Amino acid sequence: MSGPDHTPEPRRYRDRMIGLFLLAAALFNPPLLGLFGVEGTILGMPALYGWVFGLWAAVIALAALAGRAR
Amino acid sequence: MEARLDWATVLIAALLYLTALFAIAHWADRREAAERSVIASPTVFALSLGVYCTTWTFYGSVGRAATLGIGFLPVYLGPTLLMLLAPLVLRKILRIAKAQRITSIADFLASRYGHSPLLGGLVALTATVGVTPYIALQLKAVAVSFTALTGGGLGTTTGAFLAPFLDQGFLIAAVMALFAIVFGARQIDAAEHHPGMVAAIALESLVKLVAFLAVGIFVVWGLHGGLDSLFATAANRPDLIRLMGSEPALGTAGSGGGPWGAWVATTILSAAAMLCLPRQFQVMVIESVEERHLDRAVWLFPLYLLLINLFVLPVALSGLLTFGGELDPDLFMVALPLNGGAGWLALLAFLGGLSAAAGMIVVESVALSTMLCNDLVVPILLRTRPQALARSADLAPLLLAVRRVAIVAILLFGYGYFRLAGSAYALVSIGLISFAAVAQFAPALIGGLYWRRGTRRGAIGGVAAGTLIWAYTLLLPSFARSGWLPASFIADGPWGIAALRPYALFGLESWDTLAHALFWTALANIGAYVGLSLFDRQGAAERAQAAAFVDVFHSAPDATAPPRGTPPDWRSAASVGDLTRMVARFLGPQRAERAFAGADPDEPAGPERLRLAERLLAGAIGGASARVALASSVSTGAVEAAELLRMLDETSDVIAHSRELERKTAELERATDALRTANERLTELDRLKDDFLSTVTHELRTPLTSIRALSEILYDDPDLESEQRQEFLAVIIKESERLTRLINQVLDMAKIEAGALDWRIETIDAGRALAEAVAATEALFRERGIALSVEIPDRLPPVRGDVDRVIQVVVNLLSNAAKFTPPGGRTRLKAHLDGDALRVMVADSGPGVAAKDRELVFDRFRQSGSALTGKPAGTGLGLAIAKRIVEHLGGRIGVEDAPAGPPPESGRGAAFWFTLPLADRAFGHDMEEQPARHRED
Repeated sequence: MSGPDHTPEPRRYRDRMIGLFLLAAALFNPPLLGLFGVEGTILGMPALYGWVFGLWAAVIALAALAGRAR
Repeated sequence: MEARLDWATVLIAALLYLTALFAIAHWADRREAAERSVIASPTVFALSLGVYCTTWTFYGSVGRAATLGIGFLPVYLGPTLLMLLAPLVLRKILRIAKAQRITSIADFLASRYGHSPLLGGLVALTATVGVTPYIALQLKAVAVSFTALTGGGLGTTTGAFLAPFLDQGFLIAAVMALFAIVFGARQIDAAEHHPGMVAAIALESLVKLVAFLAVGIFVVWGLHGGLDSLFATAANRPDLIRLMGSEPALGTAGSGGGPWGAWVATTILSAAAMLCLPRQFQVMVIESVEERHLDRAVWLFPLYLLLINLFVLPVALSGLLTFGGELDPDLFMVALPLNGGAGWLALLAFLGGLSAAAGMIVVESVALSTMLCNDLVVPILLRTRPQALARSADLAPLLLAVRRVAIVAILLFGYGYFRLAGSAYALVSIGLISFAAVAQFAPALIGGLYWRRGTRRGAIGGVAAGTLIWAYTLLLPSFARSGWLPASFIADGPWGIAALRPYALFGLESWDTLAHALFWTALANIGAYVGLSLFDRQGAAERAQAAAFVDVFHSAPDATAPPRGTPPDWRSAASVGDLTRMVARFLGPQRAERAFAGADPDEPAGPERLRLAERLLAGAIGGASARVALASSVSTGAVEAAELLRMLDETSDVIAHSRELERKTAELERATDALRTANERLTELDRLKDDFLSTVTHELRTPLTSIRALSEILYDDPDLESEQRQEFLAVIIKESERLTRLINQVLDMAKIEAGALDWRIETIDAGRALAEAVAATEALFRERGIALSVEIPDRLPPVRGDVDRVIQVVVNLLSNAAKFTPPGGRTRLKAHLDGDALRVMVADSGPGVAAKDRELVFDRFRQSGSALTGKPAGTGLGLAIAKRIVEHLGGRIGVEDAPAGPPPESGRGAAFWFTLPLADRAFGHDMEEQPARHRED
């Protein structure tokens, strides 16, 4: 009974977003996050700070791409 | 340090800004009325979600970063994670909210769990208690930043509470109350949008982002000459370099305890708060214009969060470098530009903070007032004063008044708390504490979306248990730390019972207080919700609502769709007039007229109109109250309130059941169709099998008869001439061979059908296989006087196949040709390359195969002979076997008109052909490219 009007989302988009969620949840939390707290700088920023914002931006870009590629 | 702005300038700027917000809101309302909506845009929707960022973000993040380094981020990573799940969770919530005309999160939960007024009231109360202090924090932030900007001395905040001229907190509260009343509580239908409010919120989100970025850029490039030098300077200070690592936020690597737990707990709580905070639910669900706006918000809102946090750590580091420990880090946003000589930027920062506060206060108070009105006041009124309500013809003014009073009360409560608590721990820490409070709605909310058997009692138990534990492990200790309760409450537990220490409940020592509270509340909340639900039974109404929520994507798009047909036991007692009066009482007479136009007032209302009335009322006073109101509307008439409620429940139940039934019917129809097709096929196969059996029996009987007859003659007449005897025996042998062949074919066919045949597929020499087949059938052709011409090139490339089977195919085709070619006719066997396959053709000069039979001749049990000559000429298996073999080997088989042969020939005859894939496909192309050489050969 799942006609095109009733399906919540194209399944592929939904599944990709769930996958992205799991990836982001793993990346944004310890212990993985703690591994980035290394010495040095990225673009003048402390490495950890650069990493977190870089990952965050990448996740956002992937979310936008997933929506577009639908 | 002495730099400051004139208070009058700041005040006028603030008032001008707020006036501009009023103007924007008014303009948006006008545009909406003119059907040129400004809020019907995915970008405006995403920006309005920015109401998540309060002054706690604008000023507080810097403060958190000054002690925790990147520890300020989980509050924004949590919502980012939640938005990634938006296509799954939020979309469903939006769809349900539209279908059910939900007015608030309390209404959502109450509606899901059987329109429970108790649950709605509980949620409304918890949200009010948990969130109103948060409003106080906003008022305080505005007041303190105002003082920092205008005087009272940087670094001292005490003067803020009683500025000689005005109390900024009260002023802000009053203006916000006015705004909320004008733009948030003007129409009675709370399920409809508030375009003015949403437009203003979106603009405020933009202002606070621009302000934060401007201050950040000024601090980094204006004061420190770039990120490099700022971080390099900070790196020289041992107390600052640790803020750039993970240690303050995550603890030292490898240690399981410490801040680790706080990070994860904050992420989870923030994600839950993003969903459950009344203001978030308001802008995200109630104000949502279109579901598809979510698609852009999924990435745009996280991007907003990223941008507004980009400069938090630089500003914190710069502030610590500039002011050391002299100044509250929460004030760096205003103090740094002021100290750097950029007064206008400090003013912009103040306006950014004001935007953050104003947005939060307005939406939160509107959302809370709707909840308090619909889920607390109206149910109580309906229960305690039904007669008074019934006497009034138009209740809309009363409802609006209740909401407006609620807004004022909430803001007064917030202001009072701000004055009372001041800079107490209870106020400063309220951000995450109120997150933890509203997170108590999450299990019942998420469970209600996906778990049909989650029950009302389970939800009430879960929310109640979670809220109690929350109060005990977070709220009361914050009172104790503010000095309102004895400090021993935390250190030794109440009455000195160590097991009940609120930060180490039952001996769970050395956990972060937030993680500790999250663990115990989640345990109690989810435990009670699941546990009670498992041992509970749902009533009819509850089951219907549960199905309407969980199956929202499967049900009919229009939730008002009436059930097909009326239950036979339906006894409608309320008349259309009753319903019209009821709806008019809450929504005004025009709305009611429109809803029931064209119906005779004395006509019985019937289930459909009853549902319509319920839906209309739900948009105004919430689902739970709507039912009670409907019941009270007719309690003076012929029908009892309880009876009407029962009818309403039955209607919902019938609707749910009829949807279920529709779904099942459709499934059944599909299954029936499939079954019918299968049955037709079976019947056809059965018929074919019968035909085949009779054919085979006939075929078997013919040789058997002659064998038997001849044997009997031989047996009865021992004196038969030896010549005659030999002749008879020869016939017997021949007939036996025919029998054997027939039985072999039947067995072959059965084996192929069952897939039990052993295949030995290898590279074979097709020429040899063809020659062998010719040798096996030559006698047959000679016997019948048919000329067989063989045209096989000398050098055929090897093909993939099973030698025995390929021979069998060719033999079958040749015997078939022999059977149909009249004596004196001619049969040709020809092989040639065709692309990357070998094509073999057997052409005869028989009667040919009619075009319509060309597909059929390869069917099992079909006999072209029967159709063409009227009598069976074979078992009907030879071609079927050939087809299955060829297809198994990856080739194709077919029949066409025989190519015109040399005269004299009657008719065109049939040409059966089949292909076999070449072993080396490239070889085929080589051969094609050099046809000349082949011909020369």
